[in-house]
Amino acid sequence: MPALAFLAALFFAALIDNGARSLVPPGGAPWFAYYQQLATDPFYLRALFETVALAFVTTLVCLIIGYPVAFYLVRHARAGRTLIIFLLISPLLTSIIMRTFGWRAIFARRGLLNASLQYLGLIERPLDILNSSASALIGMVHVLVPFMVLSIAAVLEKIDPRIEEAAEMLGASRLQTISRITFPLSLDGVASGAILVFMLAMGSFVTLLFLGGGSLQTFPLLIYQQFNTTRDFGMAATMSNVLMVLAALLMFIQLRLIRRSGVT
Amino acid sequence: MTIITRRSLLAGAAAGVATLPFAHDAFAQGRLTVTSYGGTWEKAQREIYAPVFKSRNAGWDVDVQLGGPPQWLSQIEANASAPPIHVSLMPVELALAGGAKGLFEKISVDKVPNLADVPKPFVDMCEGWGVCVNYGAAVFGYHKERVKNPPKSYKELVERVAKGELRAALPGIGWAFTPTILLWPLAQAFGGGVDNVTPGFEAVKRMRPNSVFWNSVTEFPQLLQSGEADVGIWYDGRIWDAYDAGAKWLAPLNPEEGAAMIPASVVKVKNAPEIGWKYVDAMLDPEAQLKFAKLINYPITNSKVVFPPELRERFTPWEKTQLPPFGKIAAVIPEWVNRWNRELRG
Repeated sequence: MPALAFLAALFFAALIDNGARSLVPPGGAPWFAYYQQLATDPFYLRALFETVALAFVTTLVCLIIGYPVAFYLVRHARAGRTLIIFLLISPLLTSIIMRTFGWRAIFARRGLLNASLQYLGLIERPLDILNSSASALIGMVHVLVPFMVLSIAAVLEKIDPRIEEAAEMLGASRLQTISRITFPLSLDGVASGAILVFMLAMGSFVTLLFLGGGSLQTFPLLIYQQFNTTRDFGMAATMSNVLMVLAALLMFIQLRLIRRSGVT
Repeated sequence: MTIITRRSLLAGAAAGVATLPFAHDAFAQGRLTVTSYGGTWEKAQREIYAPVFKSRNAGWDVDVQLGGPPQWLSQIEANASAPPIHVSLMPVELALAGGAKGLFEKISVDKVPNLADVPKPFVDMCEGWGVCVNYGAAVFGYHKERVKNPPKSYKELVERVAKGELRAALPGIGWAFTPTILLWPLAQAFGGGVDNVTPGFEAVKRMRPNSVFWNSVTEFPQLLQSGEADVGIWYDGRIWDAYDAGAKWLAPLNPEEGAAMIPASVVKVKNAPEIGWKYVDAMLDPEAQLKFAKLINYPITNSKVVFPPELRERFTPWEKTQLPPFGKIAAVIPEWVNRWNRELRG
């Protein structure tokens, strides 16, 4: 009961309030005016596309980086296992602002990366790396890849290594064993990691604000702007409702696709 | 020998408990919640203004709530009948917006005696919904070691940044006051204004390829130090703060056209305890205001205060700044933000 009351007060009540705010546009406009604007204005449609595309690419990059790390962690790291887990978790113990400002110091025109490239004679003038979609993506992956690694590692841990050994004894190469045996069996972890990273990336705000420099306009950034600058709470509520429904829909589709591939 | 019986002990305890509410009243009549920005502003509230208020109003304590004005205004709006904030700092735009919604109370000399020593324009600019307690200007800040000949005017800044001779750090649309400190003065400099902001947008567009935008007020010095920019627009008091903290390479410059003046006002929230006015009065106290000016490097508004020469040199004279038409700008901010999103992205 206390948990239900807690949810009712802090989650459902807020959702209902958000829903109500989005249905009362100013100036006697019809109740669906905010939603109509989001659905028909190319600017908002593009922002919605950028939000989903960024979350998708971030998830993909996290998977590409995270799977080998998780595999190494579970199958090969013996003595160094604790150290790897610590290194994975340690960024999460630091304030996101500090991490983001750290990236800024690395990517700046007189930062570590540009200075190193110039020192090595690879570039003549500093590159504009900061305030781009690339720097925003790197910052996002840095923040979110631990979630992917830990989700996959937890499932890989449960796969009996003797199954992989049996496949190899029956003539499968290492690559075949991983692609046909290990990976399909670990899809549950991939799914959990992908959903977790995708959802967090959809709502990401601080990293984009400080590393993206306006190169990407996503819904969380626009919601902040509506709240902070224009004070149009109705529009902010509408955008957050759309974002939430879209996230739930995409999560449902992801789960369906994964279940179709044989993982429960 | 006095014998304490169980009965007398219980009676004594009951009497003690019965008098507790009165004892509480005698020592603490209540708590006043005031707002503050972080950093030196918080220090000023806690160490300068709150002690003045408490010394004059025994039994009252002060809670300082940190954050930003849009958040404070939303909190007040959400619970207007029993506001969680009693006295709040506000930029003039939001003081006017909140006043128009009936969230703040009109100020007067009978409620705030120190108001008599504040020049009238500092009350008029808030239309009576509070008073301006200090002000600063959004001047040019530049890297002295890299920029030997800084731009002297908005027009020169735009030309030199557009050519790529300088890189600029400009306030982005994530900063709530960008319309007032960037778009409006640029529009003014190029023949426009509130009613015609197009020249302001055109100027930003020209600078865009060689500019970075800051969306948090603390980003600016880092952008200059890390080489992302050589010059930009920032607040004069913050420039001197950074200078005193070790950024000796940083210098302010007031453009020829006059930087946008940015006053900070204080408002007393409607339905908050009446004693809130006493806190506003403490914030206008001449002695407290001088301490504040020394701490935070912003000029204050009580005309009785005499600034020491070293402080006066740092302040941008208000007559050499431009006073933005806050009310008019507040009305067009949504339109300007929308246009920025579509045309500039940043």
